[in-house]
Amino acid sequence: MISSIKKISFTLAMTLLCGTYVSSAQAEPVSIGAVIPLSGASATIGADQLRGIEIATEEVNAKGGVLGQPLKVIVEDSGGRPPSALDAARKLVTVNNVPLVIGEYSSGNTLPIGQYLVQQKRIHLNPASTSGLLRDLGEGHFSLVGLDHVTTKFAADDIMAQGWRKAVIIAPNNAFGQGVIEQFTKHFKAAGGQVLASIAYPEGQTTYRRELQQLAQAKPDVFVYSAYSREGAVINREASELGLNETPWYGYLLSMSTADSDPKTKQGQYGLEVNYIGPNGGAYQDAYKKKYGEDFRTTWNGYTYDAVKIAAAAINKAGSTDPAAIGAALKELGKGYEGATGQITFDANRMRDSQPYLKMKVDNGKLVLR
Amino acid sequence: MVQFFSDVLIRTVDLALIAVGLSCVYSLIRFPNIALVQYAVAGSFLALLLQGAGLPLPVAGLLACLLVGGLAVLLNVTVFERLLASGSAIAMVGSLAVTMILSAVFLVVFGPDSRRFDLDSHPVIRVLDARLTVHQLTAVGLTAGAVIVLALLLFRTTLGRSMRATATNRVLAAATGIDARLITNTVVFLSGVLAALGGIGLALKGEMNIQLGMDVLLPVFAAAILGGLGNALGAVAGAVIIATAETLVTNVNLGPLVGEPLLFLPASYATAMSFLILVAALLVRPHGLFVNEVKRV
Repeated sequence: MISSIKKISFTLAMTLLCGTYVSSAQAEPVSIGAVIPLSGASATIGADQLRGIEIATEEVNAKGGVLGQPLKVIVEDSGGRPPSALDAARKLVTVNNVPLVIGEYSSGNTLPIGQYLVQQKRIHLNPASTSGLLRDLGEGHFSLVGLDHVTTKFAADDIMAQGWRKAVIIAPNNAFGQGVIEQFTKHFKAAGGQVLASIAYPEGQTTYRRELQQLAQAKPDVFVYSAYSREGAVINREASELGLNETPWYGYLLSMSTADSDPKTKQGQYGLEVNYIGPNGGAYQDAYKKKYGEDFRTTWNGYTYDAVKIAAAAINKAGSTDPAAIGAALKELGKGYEGATGQITFDANRMRDSQPYLKMKVDNGKLVLR
Repeated sequence: MVQFFSDVLIRTVDLALIAVGLSCVYSLIRFPNIALVQYAVAGSFLALLLQGAGLPLPVAGLLACLLVGGLAVLLNVTVFERLLASGSAIAMVGSLAVTMILSAVFLVVFGPDSRRFDLDSHPVIRVLDARLTVHQLTAVGLTAGAVIVLALLLFRTTLGRSMRATATNRVLAAATGIDARLITNTVVFLSGVLAALGGIGLALKGEMNIQLGMDVLLPVFAAAILGGLGNALGAVAGAVIIATAETLVTNVNLGPLVGEPLLFLPASYATAMSFLILVAALLVRPHGLFVNEVKRV
């Protein structure tokens, strides 16, 4: 009796052991990390970035994963603030030991996590931020989107073409916003325009009435603005309350600035947007529509999609999860990678060197090409 | 010019009710309760939650005010009364601690994001060259109404007389048969209601987030001290002065002084202005601008 119990328990124990062993050998996924704003002023965009990650991960795993294993993207919420973004990156490196991290959205958060990741000798893929300071982050940092000196030049020319000569500009008081103000002012002056006043607004306030009233006193031809979507909603609402929307508004990164705004307060705004779909992006666009049952919510999901795809390709090319090997593979791939957002090529500083833009306007709450 | 006055009016409304609540309760419990600014946050978020639960906004707002009044009494009985036994400075530090605890509670319960009441879009009304929204005017009306009701309560009712008697001389008031503890808690309740109403007014005009209370802490204190802590209606005058100063600092073009077309101080300097006025008031007229029947600590 006792011996049979022993036998049964021995068999059971062996089965359990084997079972555990087998399953762990089969499904040890290769992990990479992502830090995106799932809460805070840019939460709408963070949620859309997550969609790009989800579609890319499914596609990679449907085609056999990476290094023969499934790919897993560990997503952390940045809270839209530098301290929590940094905590998230630190967790990914120290706890999950990932070789590569994608993130964040706002330059103010991308810069600190980029510095940390480069210092930890990990690979950092920037899927959205445009501050010129990213150029100096160093080996290990790759930008998948064109930086602000290119974008502001495009905006300045576009605004001049509308016949607006006197502009005021408001943007967030962080690395991104200051870069935009400085670069835009430079390019707009060079194009023959005049920037009458510029304001770097403090993030996370419940009102920007005072800032807007100051700008209004300049009596500009056009209000140029760039704002994270929740703050953009406040700015657009208060601007229309103050009657400032009777003057043209130009949104620098229009989908970001208007994503959370009341359709009535943003009607007719002009702006520019990064091109979010390249010649080979059709399949991705279909996959997005099918999975989420709507058109692109913002323009930023394609960039996280490309980030995950290029990361997976680089790991496969490197044949290992060693960050240095992945970095070398990324440089190789970056000589001409066909992404959903268009062709991605890196310059000597590992920054995307050409970036198509779109001229857009808001019509009935939607962004349309003009 | 009309726009300037309407800006001052709107800013006054931001500050007035919380400052009045602070001043009112100070006259009886002799310490400035910092947690009052958090009662404003609690009021606006409770109203939002109740509105989300399906109540019409006026009912949700009223209920939120009463609940926050209850919370104020609860905290007074359980925390502040005991701390006050050891001195008013200790009670004030205690109220700072309560403020921080409430901040953490708000962060967990409501999250860090800004929210808005579920309201129709803002129809704009033109008054001469100024533009005001219906919701801004509603907030002005609510504030004016609350101040008038409070004034009537203080100066026209037996309860008001008892309050003022207790504030002036607690022992003597007790000797005439006034229940000082009951009166104190009534005023604490009123201060909670006023703060909550102030918070709802703030949220009505724009957005609310959990920083709303800390954002107005300094100007509210400056207004209450300027009006003479303990002098409820003086706080309204204090709020007008602070609002005027803030609006002057941010809306006046300093460009002509330095020969440039446009030069403004950053809007965040408005807070520095209330700090400056606060320091000046404490140095020059520590008992406030008006003759005060309540002695300060």
